[in-house]
Amino acid sequence: MFFKGFPQNNQITYAGMLWLLAAQLVVMAPLAFYLPVWLIPVLLLSAGWRIRVMKGHHEQPGNLIKIIISGLGVGALFLSGMELVSLDMIASLLMLGFSYKAIEIIQRRDGVVVILTGFILIAVLFLYSQTILTALYGVFALIVLSGAMIAIHQSSSHQIIKDLKLSSLMLMLCFPLMIVLFLFAPRLPPLWSVPVPGGSAKTGMSDMMSPGSITSLSQSDELAFNVKFLGARPKQTELYWYGIVLQHFDGNTWTQFAQQLDAKAVKSKLKTSQRQIHQRLFQQDGSKGVGLEYEVIYEKSGQPWLFALSPVVSIKGDAFFGNDFRIIANQDLLEPMLLSLVSYPQALRDVQLPTASRQLALQLPEQGNEQSRLLAQQLVATSTSKQDYIDNILKRYQQQAFYYTLRPPLMDQNNSIDDFLFNQKKGFCEHYAGSFVFMMRAAGIPARVIVGYQGGEWNNNGHFLSVRQYDAHAWAEVWLENRGWIRFDPTAMVAPERIEHNLQTAVDKEGSFLEAQTFSLSKNQWLISLRQRIDSTQYAWRRFVLGYDSDSQTQLLKRLFGDLSVQKIAFLVGGLFAAIILLWVVFLGLTKKHVSIAAEHRLYQHFCDFLEQQGISREPSQTPQALSQIAITKLPGLATEIKAFTRVYSALCYEPDQHHLHQQQINSLKKLLKKMQRQR
Amino acid sequence: MPGARWKTRLNLWLEKRFPDSREITLDINRIFIIPTRISAALFIAIIVLSLIAINFQNSLIYGLSFWLLSMIVMAIFYTYRNLSALSIRAIQSSPCFMGEKAVFELEISCPENQKKSAITIGWKYEDMTVVDLQQHHSVHIKLSHSTKQRGRFKPERLSIFSVYPIGLVVAWSYAALDMHSIVYPAPVLYATGEDGLGLDEIAEQGLEISNGTTDFAGIRDYRDGDSPKLIHWGAYAKTGNLYSKTFVDYADHDVWLEWDKLTMPGIETKLSHLCAKVLQYHQQQQLYGLKIPGKTIQPMRGEAHKNTCLTALALFAEGKEK
Repeated sequence: MFFKGFPQNNQITYAGMLWLLAAQLVVMAPLAFYLPVWLIPVLLLSAGWRIRVMKGHHEQPGNLIKIIISGLGVGALFLSGMELVSLDMIASLLMLGFSYKAIEIIQRRDGVVVILTGFILIAVLFLYSQTILTALYGVFALIVLSGAMIAIHQSSSHQIIKDLKLSSLMLMLCFPLMIVLFLFAPRLPPLWSVPVPGGSAKTGMSDMMSPGSITSLSQSDELAFNVKFLGARPKQTELYWYGIVLQHFDGNTWTQFAQQLDAKAVKSKLKTSQRQIHQRLFQQDGSKGVGLEYEVIYEKSGQPWLFALSPVVSIKGDAFFGNDFRIIANQDLLEPMLLSLVSYPQALRDVQLPTASRQLALQLPEQGNEQSRLLAQQLVATSTSKQDYIDNILKRYQQQAFYYTLRPPLMDQNNSIDDFLFNQKKGFCEHYAGSFVFMMRAAGIPARVIVGYQGGEWNNNGHFLSVRQYDAHAWAEVWLENRGWIRFDPTAMVAPERIEHNLQTAVDKEGSFLEAQTFSLSKNQWLISLRQRIDSTQYAWRRFVLGYDSDSQTQLLKRLFGDLSVQKIAFLVGGLFAAIILLWVVFLGLTKKHVSIAAEHRLYQHFCDFLEQQGISREPSQTPQALSQIAITKLPGLATEIKAFTRVYSALCYEPDQHHLHQQQINSLKKLLKKMQRQR
Repeated sequence: MPGARWKTRLNLWLEKRFPDSREITLDINRIFIIPTRISAALFIAIIVLSLIAINFQNSLIYGLSFWLLSMIVMAIFYTYRNLSALSIRAIQSSPCFMGEKAVFELEISCPENQKKSAITIGWKYEDMTVVDLQQHHSVHIKLSHSTKQRGRFKPERLSIFSVYPIGLVVAWSYAALDMHSIVYPAPVLYATGEDGLGLDEIAEQGLEISNGTTDFAGIRDYRDGDSPKLIHWGAYAKTGNLYSKTFVDYADHDVWLEWDKLTMPGIETKLSHLCAKVLQYHQQQQLYGLKIPGKTIQPMRGEAHKNTCLTALALFAEGKEK
């Protein structure tokens, strides 16, 4: 190796070690939110031990002690209840090793190991959280780690601020190159499957509906998804985000199928092709309507359910078509996911209904809710048509004293529909949708419950729509001859504000909106606009930073070049590289021509130039002494200055032991030269 | 061996690339940049990070790994800047005896508007020093180099390198400074008892002048005012009384150290012997001359004379044997 033969001091200084320990703490602190918290005290103890060893209070621990504490640490991790092969476990083991390493920071090599592990741990943090704040914190940790890298390469590192400044400056200069690489470096698909961070807690819409299930969801203002329309935005009342189709009713709960199926089985049961969907959609000419193009970023939910304006005819992204006109993600959403969709909300769906589907849409339990069934029979008898029957049912919700409430009373378990329709008459959307579908089926009309979201909040800053958990909604679909599946929303009969505006307006009098949250964002106008601003920043962050993948890359390149040619890309990237390098070169002052002659020679050159102006030219062979002799005879007025200048210059050149006077001598040369120039 | 041949070729190339000169300023043609082990380790870490980024499709980790990658590239420029425009000037060298260390004085300087940190300058396995130019932009350093042969000693190329600031790359350069030091033969008396071998025969007949300084004449009682240098410590040890040594000078005769009178075998042995004699006579403040093949130095005394003689011995047969 190159350094062989040059003894290096590889010990880390005390200050360098404090640097490293601080960097370790900075890296580990945010991970305590996701991994066992006791790892932080382990780091602090290890660091304390190391500091005491350095101060001479303790011995460096022997191998036996190291083995024992390592065993204890690993044992504690296994007992902590984490899965054996999980990201949490791997990350925790890495953190444990990282903490213990603090005891062993002796050589520069140890410091480098700590710093490199620190870089990996920043990546681990990014696996758990990807918010803007986390990213900023990551940058901070990166600055500290690089500062530590600088510190351990110096013999005296009592200059923390200086090192930090230098590392920030370096990272800042690196930033443009990082952006170029980020934008243009090829993105690969995953090479192998990996354990996912943080287990898979399910949030958001569930795949079953019983009285009260959506009500509880409505107490959360968490984001469900963001939508950006590429064309005009549809009317608020048209924004029915079609999610899960519930076909089976057991008297109390609505589920997708008669039997409980796991996610894989559900997916294989529902999966269909785009061609099939197209066939079932566009059976009649002219029934297509207007297409809507939009992008959705779904937040992580731990579930595969997606929400879109039905029917979707084209998907760009990691999702497939379900045979009931919904779309479903290929994997559970453990990360935010971006989809580009095209929907035709006015298209007729399933003008022909297969018998099997019809039977599913007519299913009812054998018994229970007898009062409702009786009412259905009576109404069928008095109605002229199916449409008339539907209108009668809807009218009933309007005319009788039904209330839309976020605080619905408990319904009778066995006859929940009866209890709601005839006794309580107070309910949330699931009560209305459920009872409506029950009444349809009781009259022999195929119908089903749809759960999803309705509406959303338009963000004027970012021109996108935020759909939150409190926008959760349930409605009904009824199948009619020649018209296919038609959407009916009985809630709109009772609380039209809910559909036209939002939930908050609908339950304004009740004061029950987000009542569990003491700090309500929704009252103050200024707070609303601030929140919208934050939301739109976060949307842009999600969409353009976190969502930047090979598709976005292709799109960007297409927009830049029209068509993709390797040559063009190579030219652009090469040009950008060159520009960045040039920027660095200029910034670091590497372009400046440096005067490499020493100051005294330069000054003497000035002196000679001055004499030249006075008509005394120096022969190349002339010594300074000889030149001074001639100069004095020709310029007697300056004799003292010329003599002094020559003496000081000679001293500078030929008396190296006067080195400590160097600066002083240079200054006196400058002074003398000025004096001479002034006198002439 | 191919390795050796390759090494020779590399040396030839380096010689051509870095011709000798009194002063060298490092610039883009002279500075090489090589990644260190640390950047190799960092590179491996970056690969690990990229794998995580690819498998988790995580943009932030992509960003992190690209940032670190840029850092390696960036380090090249920073480290280069630390070494560029650095000037190394040979100031002087001091002679030494073979086997001792020759000391070279160098001036390290940089343009006034720059600062330099942690630059190592030195010879492999010999001597090195770390230079910082913060407040001053010029500094003098002394480096020593061991010598194995008498004659004109020209040290090998000086290595200059620095990993400042971040240790990811090393910027290094060679400076072949046009400087040399005279290495005198090692002073070794050839112990044959022929002490006066190199003396001119005439010496014995010369006229002695007492109270001289050249030749030992005998001892006498100590008198006040005698120089402590003259005290015969051997006699004091034996008798407990103080005795002073007396010396005589020889008027009108010279001591000649003559090559041809030496009988011992081997050129180097003779040179070593003569060297020892020169030192001896110099210490005795005697007049002495030196006659070696191709060179005759008239008898004189004093520091300059000693150096002339020693230099003549050091450079004996220079250019012939090699």
